[in-house]
Amino acid sequence: MTRLLEVRDLTVQFALPRPGLFAPKPYLEAVRSVSFSLEKGRALGIVGESGSGKTTTAMAAIRLTAASGGQVLFEGSDLLKLSDEEMRRRRRDVALIFQDPYSSLNPRARVTDIVREPMDLMGIGTREERQARVVELFELVGLRPDQLNLFPHQFSGGQRQRISIARALTTNPRLLVCDEPVSALDVAIQAQILNLLDRLKAELGLSYLFISHDLGVVRHICEDVAVMYLGKIVEAAPCEALFDAPQHPYTQALLSAAPSLARRKSKGYVRPLKLTGDPPSPLNPPKGCAFAERCPKAQDLCRQTQPELSVRGATHVACHFPG
Amino acid sequence: MAPLLCIEKLRVTFRTRYGEVTALDSISMHVNEGETLGVVGESGCGKSITALATMGLIPSPPGRIADGSIQLAGEELIGANSARLRKLRGGDIAMIFQEPMTSLNPVFTVGDQIAEAITLHQNVSADRAFTDAVALLDRVGIPSPDRRARDYPHQLSGGMRQRVMIAMAVSCRPKVLIADEPTTALDVTVQAQIFDLLNEIQRDFGAAIILITHDMGAISEMADRVAVMYAGRVIEEGSADSILDQPQHPYARGLIDCIPTLGRAERTLKEIPGVVPPLHLLGAGCAFAERCAFNDRARCTTEKPRLIDHGHHPAACHGVEESRL
Amino acid sequence: MSERALNKAESPALEAWRIFRRNVPALIGVVILTVIVLATLYGSFIYTGDAFEIVWAPHEPPGVTPDFPLGTDYLGRSVVAGMLTGGGPTLAVGAAAAAITMVIGVTLGALAGFHGGWVDNLLMRITEFFQVLPALLFAMVLVTLFSPSLLTIAIAIGVVSWPQTARLTRAEFLKVKELEYVTAARAIGARDARIIWKVILPNAAPPLIVSATLTIGVAILFEAGLSFLGLGDPNVMSWGLMIGANRDYILDAWWPVTFPGLAIFLTVFAVSLIGDGLNDAFNPKMRER
Repeated sequence: MTRLLEVRDLTVQFALPRPGLFAPKPYLEAVRSVSFSLEKGRALGIVGESGSGKTTTAMAAIRLTAASGGQVLFEGSDLLKLSDEEMRRRRRDVALIFQDPYSSLNPRARVTDIVREPMDLMGIGTREERQARVVELFELVGLRPDQLNLFPHQFSGGQRQRISIARALTTNPRLLVCDEPVSALDVAIQAQILNLLDRLKAELGLSYLFISHDLGVVRHICEDVAVMYLGKIVEAAPCEALFDAPQHPYTQALLSAAPSLARRKSKGYVRPLKLTGDPPSPLNPPKGCAFAERCPKAQDLCRQTQPELSVRGATHVACHFPG
Repeated sequence: MAPLLCIEKLRVTFRTRYGEVTALDSISMHVNEGETLGVVGESGCGKSITALATMGLIPSPPGRIADGSIQLAGEELIGANSARLRKLRGGDIAMIFQEPMTSLNPVFTVGDQIAEAITLHQNVSADRAFTDAVALLDRVGIPSPDRRARDYPHQLSGGMRQRVMIAMAVSCRPKVLIADEPTTALDVTVQAQIFDLLNEIQRDFGAAIILITHDMGAISEMADRVAVMYAGRVIEEGSADSILDQPQHPYARGLIDCIPTLGRAERTLKEIPGVVPPLHLLGAGCAFAERCAFNDRARCTTEKPRLIDHGHHPAACHGVEESRL
Repeated sequence: MSERALNKAESPALEAWRIFRRNVPALIGVVILTVIVLATLYGSFIYTGDAFEIVWAPHEPPGVTPDFPLGTDYLGRSVVAGMLTGGGPTLAVGAAAAAITMVIGVTLGALAGFHGGWVDNLLMRITEFFQVLPALLFAMVLVTLFSPSLLTIAIAIGVVSWPQTARLTRAEFLKVKELEYVTAARAIGARDARIIWKVILPNAAPPLIVSATLTIGVAILFEAGLSFLGLGDPNVMSWGLMIGANRDYILDAWWPVTFPGLAIFLTVFAVSLIGDGLNDAFNPKMRER
């Protein structure tokens, strides 16, 4: 296997307004020293709840959010070290699909221009070649060529997501960052888009960095998965291992919270693990394990020392008492 | 025993630029005391309009209740005067919405808002109402409720705001609680907490719950009975177990099969092709025919199937009907 | 999404026009403005003579002599001639001033809103500085410093009116730049200039177009005000100049003041109707009607 993307100790801090005129500027650490790698042709899911830093991690990895530290090795070169212009040129290799199909397409542009624009910007091909490529992409994602001249608002949510995917594929990128690409869609449409992403991955040999809060979706489309909590990865493993034998209590809680057809009200189910409360504020992260105050297994050690990621079978887990 | 809330042949129309369209096409459903009815379907199927109609909140114009009846404990709600409806709303029927931030007033503390809901419907002093509000916040699982009661909505997390909404909704011990996609805006662990809370509340207060959702997983965990809606009609109705184990209508089956599960991954999801047709383009046949894999009968495109019991539970499909003959 | 609708591309602009053309007050505005513009355009062909020329006895009431249907002013100049030839400069100054306002306001507002940080801080402090100046006084100073001509008047009006446009543009940019299609443009490698002018501006345009329309109305009033105070271009006939020159005799002769006043009122009224119509047409809530 060849390594496509390797992220080392990625850290993202956001500056906050000064509390007083001469007070030092406080920082919010949204991503705290995150490391992971993505093999070619595979999909890595990043799972977490809102505020976990999963989207910020992905955005920082492709430099749409400024990182404050770390390395992002894409095909061996560090994206964070490139000049702005070098990074701009490099954008043809990494593409992005957004969550909201309603706000991710410019409402004042025709969809044919939206899909062609990446080639215009990168100066790829002649005018005719570009237009032919747009038609080809439209067919690839399941849209009709007679829809080329329409505007985004004339499409349904699922179709817009197909347009978004076509735009992402225009320049033959090797990495596709998918930020919750199906969570704004109706369930029936979700399945259509997931099947499309699955097919494209196999046909084009794409690699996905797949951000989602939906464990079922990640289970379906990804080979590997990393779970984030308060800006850190708490567990990372191949999907099989993580879903069959979750090691971190937070992962276990997520799995037991996900709505499931197997749990019936008539049978009087009891959730194996119930979480209370909300995650701590990233403004004031706890000294020890971030999950300690909600964790059923927490001990004094957990509140004092932060657990580091360590290997346990096929899994990397950051917990003092895993399993 | 007669059902607590009974909707009979309800027809709601909307005036649009395409002319008058039928948003609800003579739907019938009911919910008993202490029971949860799940109403499931994609957006645009008429789930939320059913909820609004029950609350007497159909915007008019452009909306209009053209026909049918809604009875709460034997009392007809359609045509009731607005003073009576106001008394019922928040009293006997309460509703929680998808987005708790926009349903709470940002300039009042949550304690005051719950207290106001209490004084509107009960003859108690303001102090007593505030004490009750704090007790309710405690009941819905908000830590240090007497302090939180003095917070403004923006100081609370999404999950806590939804708990406040629930506290407000149950403040007058409603007979029916309508929850319209109550967890769509929330994280999964918070969603699980809210589901558990709603089930507890139901046990304590004996309220009937109408849960509107697009997620069959939520239906499985929450509902006793289910009504599946499509394009303004109820196309399948029955007990949750019966529908989840033996879905009759291809649409109901599709909604169950298209969910990616946590179990061993199947490589291709069963998808429902196409989208819900817009209401103004509904033809004479079955509204689902265009997306259906079993639409080979001539009747599918010429005749709307009726909701008939074919053995397991009622479903509206020509295919199911014929295979039973 | 219906098959029928899918076959025809409907651009947002086309859709706005569809709504606009059903708006009766806005259409009345268009008709009034068209009549006024045509009258002032062709007026100079009908009255080839000089509107400053004394042609008759002073204070001839309207409707008495067929040659001077609107009467004459205190010097015996034809009011109808002034009306027809004075409209052009008034409208031209209004349009030019609005154009200057938009260019300065949109550019500064766009840069401030897009870049944020110290650029925003600096530009907004400058904007505030211009905003707290008493507009009419400042325009008077500018016009007196640089001898009054149509161009200097237009510039003066533009310089005092842009801050509002800048603030509006900035607010729109702040809103639009957070939307995902702007991030999408960055993700495919678009440069800042392209994002500002080709992605954000067209989407921020509707309220700016409405504001530009209303600015024309304000600029016309401004021009009239300056002329009324005697700070207009004395060599060019304008409605404001007519009102200013005849205001002392309004108790003896109402017509040399009333008719240009009415013309200014109608123009600004028409422009406001059109502006309101555009506002509705661009409002997404009106779409489904």
